[in-house]
Amino acid sequence: MAKIKLYSIISLILIMVGSGVSYWTSQRISFYTSGLMETQDILQRTSELYATILERETNIRGFVITGDEDFLSFYRQSLVDAQLLLDQLKGLTNENPVQRENLIKLEALIKERVEVFELTVNYYQQNGSLEGFVSPNRVNSALDRYKQIKMVVTDINDEENRVFVEKNRSLLNNINALPFIVGMISLFSISVGFITLFSIFHYNKAQQIAAKRIQNYQEKLQDQLYLLDDSNKELEQFAYVASHDLQEPLRKITAFSDLLIEQYSDKIEGEGELYLDRITVAANRMRRLITDLLEYSRAGRENSEKEVEIDLSSIAENVVDDLEIAIHEKKAEVTIGPLPTVLGKETELRQVFQNLISNALKFSKPDIPPQIEIKSVSATQDEVLEYPMLDPDLEYYKITVQDNGIGFDEGYAEKIFAIFQRLHGRDVFEGTGIGLSISKKIIEKYKGTIYASSEKDHGSVFTILLPVITS
Amino acid sequence: MLVKKPINILVAEDDDDDKLLIIKAFQKTLPKKSITCVADGEALLQYLNRVAPFDSLELYPIPDIILLDLNMPKKDGRTALAEIKSHEDFKKIPVIIFTTSNLKDDIEVTYKMGSNSYITKPGSFDGLVKVAREIENYWSNTVKLPA
Repeated sequence: MAKIKLYSIISLILIMVGSGVSYWTSQRISFYTSGLMETQDILQRTSELYATILERETNIRGFVITGDEDFLSFYRQSLVDAQLLLDQLKGLTNENPVQRENLIKLEALIKERVEVFELTVNYYQQNGSLEGFVSPNRVNSALDRYKQIKMVVTDINDEENRVFVEKNRSLLNNINALPFIVGMISLFSISVGFITLFSIFHYNKAQQIAAKRIQNYQEKLQDQLYLLDDSNKELEQFAYVASHDLQEPLRKITAFSDLLIEQYSDKIEGEGELYLDRITVAANRMRRLITDLLEYSRAGRENSEKEVEIDLSSIAENVVDDLEIAIHEKKAEVTIGPLPTVLGKETELRQVFQNLISNALKFSKPDIPPQIEIKSVSATQDEVLEYPMLDPDLEYYKITVQDNGIGFDEGYAEKIFAIFQRLHGRDVFEGTGIGLSISKKIIEKYKGTIYASSEKDHGSVFTILLPVITS
Repeated sequence: MLVKKPINILVAEDDDDDKLLIIKAFQKTLPKKSITCVADGEALLQYLNRVAPFDSLELYPIPDIILLDLNMPKKDGRTALAEIKSHEDFKKIPVIIFTTSNLKDDIEVTYKMGSNSYITKPGSFDGLVKVAREIENYWSNTVKLPA
């Protein structure tokens, strides 16, 4: 593309230069043409001037022979004509010093001759004839002057002819150069045009290839999407299989061991009943794990529930209502500060609060009534920047769930969010360790983050950062 | 006082274990011959239509209620339900969906198709016995069934 631009600019410049040169040449041609006209004019006038000189000679001669005054008036007229022609010639040859000199010479010669003519006329008018006036000396002088005039006129003609030839040559040169220049420019322009065309062709071809490649990528991407879709469907299928088909045999194991205990308890001896119990407990635990896994895989997945504005205060209050029995049993005190409204799904956010509050109840110190405080502040810029998954351009609420429970070693702060991760034996605290991982998955789906901090024996704080609803 | 005639329950269940457990559970309150089992939806329709081998009214009485599993080979529970509920005579028989599925879709769709209850199979045998008692009690004592 850049090449095409360059070529276009070059050809434009060439065309402009070509036009300029052509214009200049044509100006030169018209200049030389008018120069030639001028030269012809000079030649014409010079010969006219020469003619007036001859005319004067003739008229003077006529006058002194016949005494007819008409000749004299012709003579006077030709004097005026001659002066006019001389002035015109001076104007025309202003730029040629040689011609100017010639003209001055000619003018002087004409003046001399005119003086002689005047003397002759005066003498004739006084004496009635030229007797005693004409002498061999005068005749010679007249002849000499005439020759001189003729010479100067010849010089003027020669000079003008020379100028004519010179100008003519220049004119011819220019006329000859014009097609050459125009031809060269055209040739260049055509060449550049061809190069441009070629470039455009080349560019189009490259673009076609690029377009084809993009199309290929798109197709590939589409294929990948289909594959992804397929694998998602497969995962769903897996979840379905896990939830139903895998549970089927488990259900039967427990059912038949129940049946066995019920119908043959009197026949089972020794530790037989214990073993049967173990079978049931293990099967139940496996079923729990499977349902939790299923729940985890479903958490945060798209479903028919729409994301709407959810008042977290009412969510927290509802969860506390649900947990009323446990709260009462443990004599727990739950305080809920003002909580914001965020974008989300009620069931999912409820699940998060359910997990956090029931954890706070569960991991309480046996002898101290649990105190749980839920509140929200605005997250500072620094806090937001600390988590790369958060958008630094957005504002976040910082919602904390704090308890005075047993806490945990700070080193496990991240580990506790992993699926099926537990910090305590099952004999101490029940559960599969799915709650926090589901909560994390949900909060991260809402473009937020959840983290925990604690000190062993000094309670723990679970912090959720959720984006402020933008209008 | 008139001795109440026990209700006849027809169970469509492909799984032999489940079949056994269901029969065991119902036998706690009902006589053995009140429970009849068929293996799939096709057999269920044959039973209702009295097609051989289900032509003996003695051995295969007209059921008062049907317990229908959803996932079965050949004709599944949904298809069988649709056929029963579009049949002039059979549609009056209450159909209880009795399945492992607790999918919202399954629940909604089957109720829309005209099923009368939806029960997810309990995990333990005790749970199953409890459900069996409730079914028996509800359909034979609480409600009145069409003659």
